Amino acid sequence: MTDQGEGFAIETFDLKKTYEMGLVTVRALNGVNLKIRHGEMVSIVGPSGSGKSTLLNMLGALDTPTSGKILVDEVDITRLGERALSKFRNKKIGFVFQSYNLIERSKVAKNVELPAIVAGTPKKLRNERVHELLDLVGLGDKVNRKPHALSGGEQQRVAIARALMNEPAFILADEPTGNLDSKTGQEIENLLLRLNQEKNATIVIVTHNLELAEGTGRIIHLRDGVVEKERTGLWGHKDQVIERGN
Amino acid sequence: MTVLDLVGLSFGALRERRLRSGLTVLMVVIGVALMTSINGLGGGMNNYISEQLGTLGANVLIVTPSATTFGPEAQSGLQTKLTPQTVRTIERIHGVKYVIPSFTGGGTLKSGSESKAVSILGMDQSKVVYIAPKASFESGSFVSSGDSGGIVLGYSIAHPSNLDKPFATTGQSVFVEFSTVENQGGVEKLVTKRKAFQVRGVLNELGSQQIDSVAFISLAAANTLFAKNSVYDTIYVVTDGPDGNDKVEASITKFYGKNIGVISPKAIASTINEVMGTFIGFLSAIAAVSMFVGAVGIITTLYTSVMERTREIGLLKAIGYTRETVLLMFLTESFAIGLLGGLLGLIFGIAGAYALIGILPFGAGAISITPWFRPTDLAQVFLLACALSITAGIYPAWRASTLSPITALKKE
Repeated sequence: MTDQGEGFAIETFDLKKTYEMGLVTVRALNGVNLKIRHGEMVSIVGPSGSGKSTLLNMLGALDTPTSGKILVDEVDITRLGERALSKFRNKKIGFVFQSYNLIERSKVAKNVELPAIVAGTPKKLRNERVHELLDLVGLGDKVNRKPHALSGGEQQRVAIARALMNEPAFILADEPTGNLDSKTGQEIENLLLRLNQEKNATIVIVTHNLELAEGTGRIIHLRDGVVEKERTGLWGHKDQVIERGN
Repeated sequence: MTVLDLVGLSFGALRERRLRSGLTVLMVVIGVALMTSINGLGGGMNNYISEQLGTLGANVLIVTPSATTFGPEAQSGLQTKLTPQTVRTIERIHGVKYVIPSFTGGGTLKSGSESKAVSILGMDQSKVVYIAPKASFESGSFVSSGDSGGIVLGYSIAHPSNLDKPFATTGQSVFVEFSTVENQGGVEKLVTKRKAFQVRGVLNELGSQQIDSVAFISLAAANTLFAKNSVYDTIYVVTDGPDGNDKVEASITKFYGKNIGVISPKAIASTINEVMGTFIGFLSAIAAVSMFVGAVGIITTLYTSVMERTREIGLLKAIGYTRETVLLMFLTESFAIGLLGGLLGLIFGIAGAYALIGILPFGAGAISITPWFRPTDLAQVFLLACALSITAGIYPAWRASTLSPITALKKE
């Protein structure tokens, strides 16, 4: 994980996203302004349809805004072409999804090394990194298992290891505990917290799980496509700076 | 991403859907195998025809009593009797070197307890060398003009494939039996005739059924044996050189009109090869259709795969796989199907051609065709399979590559 010093890791400016659904125009994001520092762990909460996942997808360059600007490490990603966006996602972002999105036919090791394959990392280095990451997430003995032979929590750990493969600057997690029971969800939460503390990873989590959100440094409440309020997580790190972009 | 990584990912995807991938490969295999077999049989057939007719000298014309052996002209009965006078007439044509009349007949050759159906050719055997320049003797020599009791055996007669020992050897007596209809007191009766001959010589194998499966007797002996009354069946005309064939042919045709047949072995070979070529081309077109069906199979398989793997494609794009990489992954899958199908198709096609030779009628009898595969034909079929496979993969691969990551990830 890289530390860019005092500059903001992520900034959004008047971010808007509208969808045309037949004759109806849906405003998913209606002017979101946000600043996230390097090494910060932020959770985005809000009711269904508030635009949480849409915002996360924008930050991860999976989707493009209708208007507004997103600066990631001071680069406006809304101006990048498709190839540059692919490279951006590969090098800078590690995604963790609610449904893990593991390739069922591939072994754990293969799933984890996927981002490094397209990055052109040599096989030997990939293998070393896969073992290192699986040890980190506590699955060092399950390198050759297929995803279906793992529990939900273990599968999410594999997905987290995959997200960390290219040492991204940011980890974006969309409901990472959404498919897990509370105990396993807690384990995943602890793992993410550990990554934030030990690796200084900038982590943005979208969640409905308030317990998980309270563990993060800052909680951003979204409603109707705008930031309604922000506050410090109850058990989040005290030293984390809270910023409100506007 | 290295080529090995790309191949690894693509083969992994194909392996996951083993049955479907296998069936798609099978479709390609069938198309390629069909084309390969047909090409091989066609090549073998061409070789056989060239071999058969190539043993005859290039400056030989064959004169027959009628212009055609089928069609309205043959049915009209317009024929020229080939008599000693015909021989003398043709001899006078400029550019003619030798005129060799012959009688042909069929019969059963008996040697000890063995018997064999043979074609018997009666001709002046001192001239055989002009018709079949490559003919040579394993033992003995040709029958002289005045020898009515001598016979020369082609290699296949003396050494039939179904016998461990020779059917007959030089110096041995054999009998020719044949049936003919005779008018006895106003009543037609089927009479079996039998005549003893002594084997004067056995020819070396020429690879031509026209020589290897024929027994030669003198012209006079054949005239008597088959009661031909000096009406020849065929007259071989040896010209000064192959370049003069057309002029001599024109002269004979001019003299006798359409009531006589003049053909050159080269022309026969060319005509047969042309007909065979058309036939083989027709069969190849059918086989090509099956290859196109295989290509459609690839489209279906890959398109279904794209639909089923939409989330996977979304994930790959989310973690940085570019449009080009995804396109290449799917194209590699379609190429792999073509490559595997092409290689297996060639193997099964070659094996299939040999199997068909054993099953089809022309493989079982006296005619034996060996499939012949031109390397360029094999390469063409293989490349066609690969090219069709890649082409078939373009649309599904394009669909996969253009999927929006967010839309793909949301697919249930």
